[in-house]
Amino acid sequence: MKEKEAQINHDVHPLVLYVEKEDGTYGRLETASFLSKNYLDDYFDKVRKWDAELKEKLDKGEISPVYYYMIMLEMGEGDLASRVGISKWKLRRHLKMKAFEKMNLRMLRRYADVFDIPVSNLLHFTVIKEKDQHKLKITYQKATSNPYISVSKIETV
Amino acid sequence: MKEIDFEHKMAAHCESGTVTALLNHGGLEITEPMIFGIASGIFFGYFESSVFSFPMFIVRNKPGSIRKNIIKRLGVNFYTRSFRSQEKGIEELDSLLAEGRPVATQVDFYYMEYMPEYLRTHMNVHFINVIGKNEKSYLISDSYYKEKAELRTELLHKARFVGGNMAPKGFLFYPVSIPENIDFEKAIRKGIKKAAHDMIKLPVPFVGVKGIRKFAKKVTGWPDLARDIDHLSHEIMKINVFLEDQGTGGAGFRFLYATFLQQAAQKINDAQLEGMSKRMMAIGDDWRNISYFAARIGKNRDLGESRLDELSQMIYMMADKEQEFFTELYKMVK
Repeated sequence: MKEKEAQINHDVHPLVLYVEKEDGTYGRLETASFLSKNYLDDYFDKVRKWDAELKEKLDKGEISPVYYYMIMLEMGEGDLASRVGISKWKLRRHLKMKAFEKMNLRMLRRYADVFDIPVSNLLHFTVIKEKDQHKLKITYQKATSNPYISVSKIETV
Repeated sequence: MKEIDFEHKMAAHCESGTVTALLNHGGLEITEPMIFGIASGIFFGYFESSVFSFPMFIVRNKPGSIRKNIIKRLGVNFYTRSFRSQEKGIEELDSLLAEGRPVATQVDFYYMEYMPEYLRTHMNVHFINVIGKNEKSYLISDSYYKEKAELRTELLHKARFVGGNMAPKGFLFYPVSIPENIDFEKAIRKGIKKAAHDMIKLPVPFVGVKGIRKFAKKVTGWPDLARDIDHLSHEIMKINVFLEDQGTGGAGFRFLYATFLQQAAQKINDAQLEGMSKRMMAIGDDWRNISYFAARIGKNRDLGESRLDELSQMIYMMADKEQEFFTELYKMVK
């Protein structure tokens, strides 16, 4: 690939490509991601759509919050199970409400740790209306050293 | 911040980038492509496993092999260690930093907070150099980030001691000694021979050029595995991500390998390799076309049977080209 064709300006996602320079030698070029530059909106549209669809299914009790986070974080069942430290078979049961509702708090916490969220987020979503999103944002704070108790702060941007 | 004097430079790939930077720091002048090529970094594999949320392919050899092959072929001696105890792993890293030694460590990419959020996925085989520390954070030299970055202490600890597939276990390494005289000709030929061998001769149906063919065959069945058209589009567009954006130097490491062949040709004065380098660049351009194609049809949701057939044919073609290429390359260094 020629150096000229590879040059992309996009600060968010820089990367290094190896390209053909004017003098015919090959070498490194600091440029940026073609995909991030051109198709990122499409990706965010998809994520929003999945989020809405999955939350609707959660509403109806067709899936469990574990399934929701697994899909949103694009984790494989085998990987998630081994991070949580349970068998794949057990994980698959936790994807449905029937087994999810029998889970104890400690198990819930193990999932929360892997998903990198407060435990309460497995049972509760806080959403800011789209029209207010430029004004407000949610920041989490673990108020105490108790891992089960979290304080959600809503701040003005 | 106690900071070690360390030159930060973005690199195409995290493992070859960290190894190159550490060796440069230790006084050995060598480029990332040379490290990548001598370590037989180029590869292909197609995987279907519950470890991943969808079938995926890799375009490089196994994580860790770059360092291991460099040890073997350049005679560099690395100190390496992983930890069962988190405390010990933290303690050792901190005391090495206190000695003024930059250290590479293995992490889960997800916790690299300085990266844009949408890029951060759980991936346990990311490598970074740690080059400083204060009470609250570590200073990181990450091949994928423009500048040196600060990472909160607890996040680096999490990233180093997370569980899951290929868990990092706090793995760390740094070069202990670098030999004065390195036989580059031997190292280059061995590196090429192993890479070419693994691309064409491994008796495993999903790696090397066989892996490329498997990918070509399987991709037409992806619609059956996807939840819906948007999910399919996302996975098809990830072909572009795997080839271009996940630290490959472009075209699934093919550009990086072409650069290696050119630099190797000059180093050992071998005109044949120079010619092969040009051919590898052209093969890279073809892969890059596949990346663009995948991105475009994904974005347009143009994912009917005939379009995926077209994609499959393009990938089959790459298998033929690479088979021919690596067969010739193998003969040259045999």
